[in-house]
Amino acid sequence: MSTTQLLMAPPVTAIAARAVDACKVYGTGENVVRAIDHVTVEFKAGHFSAIMGPSGSGKSTLMHCLAGLDPLTSGRAYIGGTDLTTLSEKQLTTLRRDQVGFVFQSFNLVPSLSAIENITLPGALAGRKPDAAWLDKVIAAVGLAGRLSHRPSELSGGEQQRVAVARSLVSRPEIIFADEPTGNLDSRAGTEILSFMRNAVMELGQTIVMVTHDPVAASYSDRIVFLADGRIVDEMEDPTAQRVLDRMRRFGE
Amino acid sequence: MFRVALKSALFNKRRLFGTALSVVIGIAFLAGTFVFTDTIQRTFDNLFSDVYKSTDAYVRSSSEIDIGFGQKLYDRIPESMLSEVSSVTGVAEARGDVSGYARIIGSNGKPIGLPNGSPNFGSSVYDSPLIPWTPVGASKFPSGPNEVMIDAGSAKQGKLNVGDKVTIVSQGGSRVFTLVGTVRFGKADSPGGATFALFDLATAQSFVGKPGEVDAIVVGAVPGISQQVLADRIHAKLGAGATVLTGAQITKETQNSMHDALSFLNILLLVFAAIALFVGSFIIYNTFSIIVAQKQRETALLRAIGANRKQIISSVLLESALVGIIASAIGLLVGVGLSVVLKWFMAALGIDIPAGGLVLLMRTVIAAFVVGIAMTVFAAVSPSIRASKVPPVAAMRDVALDRSAASKGRLLAGAVVTFAAAMLVVYGLASNDVKLLGSGVPLLFIGIFVLGPLIARPVAGFIGAPLPTVVGVTGSLARQNSMRNPKRTARTAAALMVGVSLVTGISVLAASVKTSIRSIIGDQFVGDFVVRTQTQGFGGLPPELATALNKLPEVGTATGLQMGYGKIDGNTKASMLSVVDPSTIGDVFDLKFVQGKASDLTADGILLSTSRAEHYNVHVGDTMRLTLLDGVERTVQVQGIYQKDDLAGPYTISEQLFKKSGADVYHFSVFGTTAPGVSEKAVLAAATPVVEKYRVGKLLSRSAYINDQSKQINQFVNLIYGLLALAVVIAIFGIANTLSLSVYERTRELGLLRAVGAYRSQVRSAIRWESVITALLGTAQGILIGVLLGYAVIVSLHDEGLRKFSISVGTLVLVTVLAVIAGIVAAIRPARRASKLDILRALAQH
Repeated sequence: MSTTQLLMAPPVTAIAARAVDACKVYGTGENVVRAIDHVTVEFKAGHFSAIMGPSGSGKSTLMHCLAGLDPLTSGRAYIGGTDLTTLSEKQLTTLRRDQVGFVFQSFNLVPSLSAIENITLPGALAGRKPDAAWLDKVIAAVGLAGRLSHRPSELSGGEQQRVAVARSLVSRPEIIFADEPTGNLDSRAGTEILSFMRNAVMELGQTIVMVTHDPVAASYSDRIVFLADGRIVDEMEDPTAQRVLDRMRRFGE
Repeated sequence: MFRVALKSALFNKRRLFGTALSVVIGIAFLAGTFVFTDTIQRTFDNLFSDVYKSTDAYVRSSSEIDIGFGQKLYDRIPESMLSEVSSVTGVAEARGDVSGYARIIGSNGKPIGLPNGSPNFGSSVYDSPLIPWTPVGASKFPSGPNEVMIDAGSAKQGKLNVGDKVTIVSQGGSRVFTLVGTVRFGKADSPGGATFALFDLATAQSFVGKPGEVDAIVVGAVPGISQQVLADRIHAKLGAGATVLTGAQITKETQNSMHDALSFLNILLLVFAAIALFVGSFIIYNTFSIIVAQKQRETALLRAIGANRKQIISSVLLESALVGIIASAIGLLVGVGLSVVLKWFMAALGIDIPAGGLVLLMRTVIAAFVVGIAMTVFAAVSPSIRASKVPPVAAMRDVALDRSAASKGRLLAGAVVTFAAAMLVVYGLASNDVKLLGSGVPLLFIGIFVLGPLIARPVAGFIGAPLPTVVGVTGSLARQNSMRNPKRTARTAAALMVGVSLVTGISVLAASVKTSIRSIIGDQFVGDFVVRTQTQGFGGLPPELATALNKLPEVGTATGLQMGYGKIDGNTKASMLSVVDPSTIGDVFDLKFVQGKASDLTADGILLSTSRAEHYNVHVGDTMRLTLLDGVERTVQVQGIYQKDDLAGPYTISEQLFKKSGADVYHFSVFGTTAPGVSEKAVLAAATPVVEKYRVGKLLSRSAYINDQSKQINQFVNLIYGLLALAVVIAIFGIANTLSLSVYERTRELGLLRAVGAYRSQVRSAIRWESVITALLGTAQGILIGVLLGYAVIVSLHDEGLRKFSISVGTLVLVTVLAVIAGIVAAIRPARRASKLDILRALAQH
């Protein structure tokens, strides 16, 4: 880490999400699987972070636990200052609705709702009117203005994913979790989405944590956490696709 | 392939069971009906062969009148025949039997037996093995004019003990007897809820029959003489005036008349079983359509690896057969239990059925399985063909959501079927053909079923329109979901549509009948008070009541009305006749005479309605032939023609003529007017003690009578509602089943909703409202069809006096509210399952 970079970083960096000594164990007895194994990690606010690792490394599990979708077996997980392990199911749902945004690999949208209805869904679930100015800004940013009344089945994969990103942005969450957001897209649409997420972090100050196994996708992030066998094995700041690829190759050794 | 299909079916046991459930109720009702009627039949068969076991010959009049519903009335025979019969060689014992109407009054002063329930008999009794009765305990047989014996059932119901004074009402008036004993009918306390007051022969003749006459002669043979030989000898002696039956014949005849009566009940109940099965088959069809759609990838994979279309079809049909087998087996078991419930139900209606072991015939088992399996397999045929059309390549691509609904073929097919059905209904009603009507109505439902998807989307959208505003985003989701697959929504709603339309149709009919009754009685009854009975045409008020009322200064006129039967112009089937007192009847009824008047009627005359007069092409002064119970064909003169036949019926004769036939005289109701200047209150007060003396009648003011008569059909209508509730319950299962399958199908979507912050309660709410929209869609269709069907029936019955079309808005509102509740209930389980989905697993599912 260079000195200039340190100086350029925000003077006091808040932590948007963190895990402390987190463990997630599936199964019992002989079938026990330690999906994440005593992981302690922090994700800074206003940053675009990536979690990488080979299949079965626990990267998705870590994200699910941090997002309040899956409870930890032991340890703690925080969103902002909130300890997720102390929340009830209902409180977790409220937290997800109000403070967390999601972008999944596929099946991101409710098929019976139009694009705009999907975008405003979390707010509608909360019974809130969307902030019109912000909504317009987000829609303009994702470039969906003409497609808002379309159903998901009438949108391309890239468009669907942009709707999903817009949905995750409108509620101005503390953090957005993206699970392989480009996994189902062709490279052009993937690039679009990644640039857009990058911009959301740079320009709107959004925090994003992305799980991916694609070095190119990961290279859009500020920092990568590498996971293998449920443990954090490495980190990388300001990654490039080549450096990531090199690091990933070493997992095969 | 067989194993693949079997494994696939068994893999999802919950689905298998849920589908089977929609057939179980129908099969249970089918099996329950059979077990119930078979049990009653066997019980009565045993009872009758038991009670006639000592009877070797049975003599009765050869003059009879068939009054329909398997019932015949027989004339009496002279008592003198008794000595003739006794003189026949081979006769060990011959006894005269008298039978008529007698109502026993319980210790609380109330007549025993339910209103409009089983008949109330008065009979002769004597100590002999020829009687069907078994005395209970220290009973003694009645002798002399002051002693009576009653059936044990009546004694229990009326809390009457041997030694008590008992009031009994018959055509001979109201008399007090000493109860000297109770009897059982074979092993039963009472034969099917009928009540019996038993007297010695002379008392029975004078009180309930006719002196010098008996209804039948029962004969016992000396040992060694066969029944046939004995009957032949008696017949030779008596000639044509009497019919002689062997003991075996009268046993068989009585058993058969019971079978006839039961077959009406059987058919009534089977109609409702058929409705339940019909609704069930809609649900099977829908369920298999959904399953086939959901298994499209799996099917395509099977096709890709070499399964042919036939194999796909048979695998779906095999699963449906499995559903049928499970449903039939459970239905059969439930049906046996249901038969016990039906027995209670009948007992509550006053039809007491003697105890006897349940009869489960092989026929019942076969019927349950054949119907159950055939119905499910039949309903699965079309979905199985659809499954076989899945191209193998579908295994490789994503399954598109089936949003198709409107196609020209569907519109055409639906319109043709609906039109054909409507024609059948209209023509069936016009020609009074129940078979045409009975095939038209189900066909109509099928037509609407085919058309349903065309209207499901806009109508569901319309019904759900307020939800986004009222309920918020979950309401909006519910509305969208109900619109996304119009075929499925329409099919699910159709099951409810059937039940609701039948309920609506019946409610429209009932409301119209009530309104018509009010208007008819209001127009044609011009009197001020009524004494009415509820005796189903057999027996009623003794004629002396009318006489006594006429003597009261507060009463202007009191006149009794009786129903009789006679054959007009040589018809074999009897027609119902009104029997009146011509001098007074005109004071209480305004029948709008076009020729002559009521008081013109003599003992040799008849009054006709205009439609009958036209039919026979007769005018006042012409003659017609009339045969009454005594078998004598009389020539009667047409003495008046009236327009209004709703109350009086088409034929009216005088009491004097009716009495000539030897028939018993009872008034089923007495109608009266007040004397000038007397208030209604005063006349009712004066008449009350007179009426109370006879116990069996109820005194009502004009307005109370009109209310009372319009409510007569309530009991029947409620019974029908109760049976139709079955169809609605099945429809609820259908909605629940469809929702479960939809929830399964939408697992990922529901997981997504939860992930982005929907509470469990919000997920439940969305499912619940979707269910309510579906239920309301079915209800809306049902109400529309029901009102139209009801209207068609009423138009066709215009000539029968049903002239008012009336809709009970209250009932329709209630039906709608119940539909909402049904929707909510149906959604309970699917909604709970949807809200408990594991989010991550849901999202990971394909």
